[in-house]
Amino acid sequence: MVRVRGRALRAAGAGLLVLLGGAAADAQRYQVEIQKEVFQRIPLAIAGFAPLPDTNPGADLATVVRSVLAADLDFTGLFELIDPTFLPGDTRQLKPGDQAGVLPTLALFKVQGLLVGTLERRGTELALEGHVYDAERGTTIVARRYLGEATAIRQIAHRLADEIVFRYTGERGVAQTRIAYVAARDGVRELYGMDYDGHNPVLLTGNRSINLSPRWSPDGHLLAYTSYRDGNPDLFVLNFQTGGRTKLSAVPGLNISPAWSPDGEWVALSLSKDGGTNVYLMHKDGSGLRALTTGSGISVSPTFSPTGRQIAFTSDRGGTPQVYAIDLEGTNLRRLTFQGDYNSSPRWSPRGDKIAFVSNMSGRFQITLMNPDGSAVQTLTSEGGNEDPAWSRDGRHLVFSSTRTGRREIFVMRADGSAPRQLTRTGGNFAPDWSP
Amino acid sequence: MRTQRGGWYGTLVAVLVLAVGLLLSACATSPDVGQAQPGGVGAAAGASPPGAGPGAAAEPPRVSEAPVRPPGVVAERPVTPVRPAAPGPATPAGGPLEDVFFDFDKAVLRDDAKASLNRDISWLKSNAGVKVVIEGHADERGTNEYNLALGDRRSKAVQEYLVAAGIAAGRIRLISYGEERPFVLGHDESAWRWNRRGHFIVQP
Repeated sequence: MVRVRGRALRAAGAGLLVLLGGAAADAQRYQVEIQKEVFQRIPLAIAGFAPLPDTNPGADLATVVRSVLAADLDFTGLFELIDPTFLPGDTRQLKPGDQAGVLPTLALFKVQGLLVGTLERRGTELALEGHVYDAERGTTIVARRYLGEATAIRQIAHRLADEIVFRYTGERGVAQTRIAYVAARDGVRELYGMDYDGHNPVLLTGNRSINLSPRWSPDGHLLAYTSYRDGNPDLFVLNFQTGGRTKLSAVPGLNISPAWSPDGEWVALSLSKDGGTNVYLMHKDGSGLRALTTGSGISVSPTFSPTGRQIAFTSDRGGTPQVYAIDLEGTNLRRLTFQGDYNSSPRWSPRGDKIAFVSNMSGRFQITLMNPDGSAVQTLTSEGGNEDPAWSRDGRHLVFSSTRTGRREIFVMRADGSAPRQLTRTGGNFAPDWSP
Repeated sequence: MRTQRGGWYGTLVAVLVLAVGLLLSACATSPDVGQAQPGGVGAAAGASPPGAGPGAAAEPPRVSEAPVRPPGVVAERPVTPVRPAAPGPATPAGGPLEDVFFDFDKAVLRDDAKASLNRDISWLKSNAGVKVVIEGHADERGTNEYNLALGDRRSKAVQEYLVAAGIAAGRIRLISYGEERPFVLGHDESAWRWNRRGHFIVQP
């Protein structure tokens, strides 16, 4: 009778569900719902990644890959990363194939998984090979090799990290996602895109005017935004596949605060052409415009529920800015926020169970969560002023802007408000949106 | 030592072994090879010339910003205002039309605003045919998107007052900048009060 440790079994049981799901392609995929309060983080040791020959130690790409992988895996909150210093010898020299000798020792130290990787040059390209072994069973959970240019070294590591997350949870990781945001410089506002960890910022606009409210389409191929490029706040769509930009809405007045429906077919936005500023809907090609709200008040910042059947938005129809929800047919308008005099910028979680928004508390905004019926209000931030929340596609993290360092910077944190991490350091950065 | 739940554990372990066996057979082939895109999304976007959409104005070529610097290195230049900071009700020197100011989160014209607008209306009537742009602005409090709508509402309040006094609507164009173009930089009421504004620009 094999004696198994209870904790390892529970995690292995979770792994079991995923393995079953992965092995039988047409079977129902099991969802492992991981919540911080109940899940035991998986102790995972990282070894290998010996320095490439003929590189200076200061610029060692294998070390870069290892640290990117560790940061990606740590970010998920699913793993407890272990540096296996208790193993004999130099663990950097471990290669896939050597694991049989060390796994029993790891299992003895209650380490459940071992990631062993190598980085090699193949001509002008780099080859990253990563294996993850189950320390108890000695079996292989992940075995992947990636090729890429040296300039894409971080992306190569991100891909492996996402694969590891997928094998353990059945969900796609976020290591390859990007964050678009607004950077204010010298009176202009340009859009940038950076990796989810703050690296590789790239200018997305360049018109030296005011550009605002970047919003990724659900497939990640398009970015909607408002730009004053042509002398009026018009709605544009940048197509990443073609590099082209189209004007989606340019009626007189405001064409602002775009939001995509979950199926990518509809865009909600706010227009001021009819007196007040109201939320409108249109097809992704700009046709079929119809008003969702009417009146002389202000209704802005729409966000779709993940079913696509409801929209939450900010409105002052009750006297002060508050969060409301309405069905897509225009019925069942209801107010969601009742605490405080300024509640705005709602963002519906991709999981459907929470709406993030900002709430004015003692003169500063804080990121707040509530259920879609307005109950269970929970403040997530307290330091400085915090605005512009946006969800990661897996609903586990929020990106937002914060003035806690003295300047407005982009931060990420877990959906429960823990582990805040600063992404930008140049000041004047706000309005982030997280790519799918 | 057998536990009370030995039978359940045994079944689970057997299924675990079976599943791992299935997985091993799937992984028995060589590891997958995947191609990573160099530079990710940003490089793909940079590959085509910017502004290639129909009717798009020429834009400067996309420039990759330098990587985010670690803290402690020289900071970016602080943002300077678009217009020179001019505390006080006067418009920048040379402007014939007085700006008007609003209370927080309001687009209602105060008495002092109406007095300024009355003078503006006289000037506009004496200079028939001159066109103006009315800009609506908000202070930095509140969210950016809501403040765009608030600025729009303020510009419309000014326009309404002018049109009611007989200024032709065709002479007026509106634009809101929300909180994006402050006149006075600062994080307290001494700055905010000058940014809650209806601003006139006389068209040449």
